[in-house]
Formats: sequence, C-alpha cells, structure tokens
Amino acid sequence: MDFVILSLVILAVGIYGLLTNRQLLKVFISVELIATAATLNFVMLAQSALGLGQAFLILAFATDTAVSGVILALLVVVSKKYGTSDIGKIVQLMQNKEEESEVDA
Amino acid sequence: MIPFIFEILSVGLLVSAVLALFLDEVVYSVAALAGTFLITAIIYALSGSVFAAVFQFAVSVGTLAILFLSGEMLGDRPLKKASSTKIAALIGGGIILSLPAIFLSVSSGAGVVVDNSFGDALWNLRGMDVLFQAIVILTVAIGIAIVLYEKKKGAK
Repeated sequence: MDFVILSLVILAVGIYGLLTNRQLLKVFISVELIATAATLNFVMLAQSALGLGQAFLILAFATDTAVSGVILALLVVVSKKYGTSDIGKIVQLMQNKEEESEVDA
Repeated sequence: MIPFIFEILSVGLLVSAVLALFLDEVVYSVAALAGTFLITAIIYALSGSVFAAVFQFAVSVGTLAILFLSGEMLGDRPLKKASSTKIAALIGGGIILSLPAIFLSVSSGAGVVVDNSFGDALWNLRGMDVLFQAIVILTVAIGIAIVLYEKKKGAK
C-alpha cells in the first residue's frame, strides 16, 4: 500500500475534474480534492516525524480554508449576478454584455 | 487491526472521490465528498495522526455545511435520481483507479526519524508560520466581507 501513489491519483482525479466540469460547485469540489491529496501526502510522508507532519497539515488546512472562502464568495457573487452556476453560460452572458456595451458606445 | 484495512479505505476514498466529481446532482456530489473527508480522517487516525484526524474532521464539517447550503441555494433544477448503471460505472472506475496505490510502490524505506511532539513542532519549529497564517486568514475574512458588501451595495 503506497499513499504517495494514492495521493497522486486523487490529485489527478481532482485536476481532471477541474478541467472538465462546467458547474462552479463541481469546480470547488475538485479544488477540495486537490487539497485533500496534498494534506494526505503531508501526513503520510511524515510517518517518522508525526508531530512535524501534523503541524504542516494545520498550516495546509489554514491555506485551504482561505482558498475555499475566497472561491465560495466569488461563486455566490457570480451566480447571483448571472443567475446560473454554469461556466459556459456565464461566459456567454459576459460576452453578450460586452457586445451590448460596444454597440451602445 | 483488521487486515488490509488501508487497502479497503483507499478503495473507498477513490470511489467516493470519483462519485463526488462525476455525479450529476450537486447535493449527491457533496454527500460523496463527505465520504471522502470521513475516510481521510479515518486513515489519519489509524496511522497514528490523531490531531490530523480531528482537524480534518472539524474542517470538513464546516466545508460540507457551507457546500450543502450553496448547493441548495445555487442549484437551478430539481433533484433527479442518478441511473444505477452510471453509479456502477463510477464505482468500477474508482476501484480501478485505486489498484496502482495498492499494488505499486515508489516510497523508499529509509527515512530520517525526528522525534517531535505535535505542540513542540507547531509552536517551536513553525511558530512564526502559525502567526502569519492567522494574519492571512484575517485578511481573507476582511476581503470576503468586502466582496460581499460591494455586491450588496451594487444590488441597491
């Protein structure tokens, strides 16, 4: 059983989800999976220095929480502004808005 | 200790991760993500990192609560049940993805043994980091409040 390979596979699944999913909440879930892969690596690689590994894990959690907070705030703002959480539709709406403002100018 | 417990947990971890990403409904995805977090916490606890397990559990409970709320708030269509064929395919995919972790190995056996307690490592070795992290989190909280306040002001 090798936890380095396990965290690598979770990282790959998370990156694949980040690149292919079009829904904002799924993108957030992908980011969470990537963070889980990183923290799993921290703890399992520090089996001979458990205290240090766990201390690094706390720091990684703090960064992860900050990133999650920012992503969720942006997600709420964008979803409320455009009325959808689909990235494709949001891009389309943004382009329509730009074209309208160019026509007005 | 149950034999092959880490192998079983790693299969469960990858299956729930794949389900979290590829199920259509956001609420079901969040439920699968809850499984991912829970299994990660169990792996930490069984490998002796009790503090890590407790922190993983606490952070994941907060994240999941917010995700459930966001999923309910931002979901634009009613819940529909996922087909059993798709769920079976996703579970099969997760099991196949977990095979390399079970049968292959890249880690070397040799390692430097450092005997630090958790408190010693956190406050004596990484004390400055902890203080700066507190400042970063405070700044992020203020930033999020500003983003949401600007949005509210813009709506008015």
